Amino acid sequence: MARGCRHIGRAVTVSCGKVRMPPRNRSLTLPRTLLLGTALVFSATSLQAEGKPIPHGTLELIAENPWIAAGHALNLGLHFELEKGWHIYWINPGDSGEAPRVKWRLPTGLAVGAIEWPAPRRLGSSSIVDYGYEDAVTLIVPLRAATNVVTQKSAQLAADVTVLVCREMCIPGKTQLLLTLPIRSQPPSTDTRTEDLFAAARKSLPRVAPRGWRFGLAEVNGSFVLTVNLGRQITGAVFYPLVESQIDNAVPQEFVSEPGGFRLTLRKSDQLLKPIERLKGVLAFSSDLAYSIDLPIAKPGAATNGYNNRTHPAGSLQEGI
Amino acid sequence: MRRWILFTMLVVLGLTTVSPFLWALKVGEAAPEFTATASSGKSIHLSAYRGKYVVLEWHNNGCPYVGKHYKSGNMQRLQKDWTSRGVIWFTILSSAPGKQGYVTASEENDYLAKMQAAPTAALLDPTGEIGHLYDAKTSPQMVIINPEGIMIYSGAIDDKPTTELQDVPTATNYVSRALEEAMAGKQVQTPTTRPYGCSVKYADSGH
Repeated sequence: MARGCRHIGRAVTVSCGKVRMPPRNRSLTLPRTLLLGTALVFSATSLQAEGKPIPHGTLELIAENPWIAAGHALNLGLHFELEKGWHIYWINPGDSGEAPRVKWRLPTGLAVGAIEWPAPRRLGSSSIVDYGYEDAVTLIVPLRAATNVVTQKSAQLAADVTVLVCREMCIPGKTQLLLTLPIRSQPPSTDTRTEDLFAAARKSLPRVAPRGWRFGLAEVNGSFVLTVNLGRQITGAVFYPLVESQIDNAVPQEFVSEPGGFRLTLRKSDQLLKPIERLKGVLAFSSDLAYSIDLPIAKPGAATNGYNNRTHPAGSLQEGI
Repeated sequence: MRRWILFTMLVVLGLTTVSPFLWALKVGEAAPEFTATASSGKSIHLSAYRGKYVVLEWHNNGCPYVGKHYKSGNMQRLQKDWTSRGVIWFTILSSAPGKQGYVTASEENDYLAKMQAAPTAALLDPTGEIGHLYDAKTSPQMVIINPEGIMIYSGAIDDKPTTELQDVPTATNYVSRALEEAMAGKQVQTPTTRPYGCSVKYADSGH
């Protein structure tokens, strides 16, 4: 994902190109060291700090708007960049691993909402499957400013992040992110330095399923069978369960195209000993087309078709966790 | 190279023979039989321990979740406490050669001595056969088998799925709770949990 350069002047182009790269090559050459040094001097003048190191990657706290507007919401982002092959985890990490955790320290009058998790990917082997993100991902966190928040001052936002980064092995990382933003009474405007990242992040967020779609969900022979009628055929879909230990993550999901839609068979987890009422999660058609679903599981013998999806407001994936 | 020769020898010698149950194993069902070589060199048959509670602990010395329980002394304490009450405790090493957590018998013996660990035995499972037999997903996944040979618990060691040492004292330990309940003649209240930790480093594991 390309992103705009943040600083002004000649050294800046270089800093964007070099410093933002994941630290793949650990042996810094002399010219590169010099460039790094220059970039650090420049970044000190910026409102936003460069990404902090985490195991095999960097993490940066970014904001969608250049200032906090009293009485308005503002999107913050936790932007991860990872070295090739390394991954972090979704809210439900799957068979192993752990989702990143954040503790916020915010000035009075500011509050954050739940993390908005983009649709993940299946990561793993034949017997162990995890859900997470490789390469780069931005987790959006909405920030709300009270109407009476003190303006004409800067707010320092601090986030203590715990993150597990894995490839063949797992390395836990901890870092403290800081972001200082002015507080103003004017309504917010877009920050051109980060708008591409937020646009990309929003594209990969699960959407609300269209009202016309019809869902069916039944338990058949130790599997959950999900049928979706969306008025057209698609080539593939993957379900990501929001709650751990409901489906067997490693068993391949059986996708069957049907007139007007598809059927997806999900093996029940052996860890699920008690019946569940609903299945919640993300239904992904491609890497940037996914939908939140929350469906009741039909009782045996009952009609299994024609449910409406329970509509989720955007970013309500934290429900029930 | 030496490692591969050793590995091949172990496979040829039939280090681990397993029963032919290939379907997924569920709590409440009979725990499948296995034979394995311990790091002490001893041959271990699970069936020889019928009549006793048996704990299986999946181990990988490089996994930070395992590290939490060994650096805090929690795992060693559990091993000592429960083996002193007659429980058989097997630490199982299912990492494939070349993967994180793979150890030779002497390396494992050094580790046990250094960590003052006290399992009944540490079982070498480089082919991952015991791991797959019990569908072990993570280290430290824990399994409890009752004296009748029935699996009564499979899952996490406790309810704090983190790598942080300070979480150990405040965690509810599922293994101790299940053993206490079973020994008191009660039903195990939480027979399965999500087994947190690092993925078991089987030969086919790509992550």
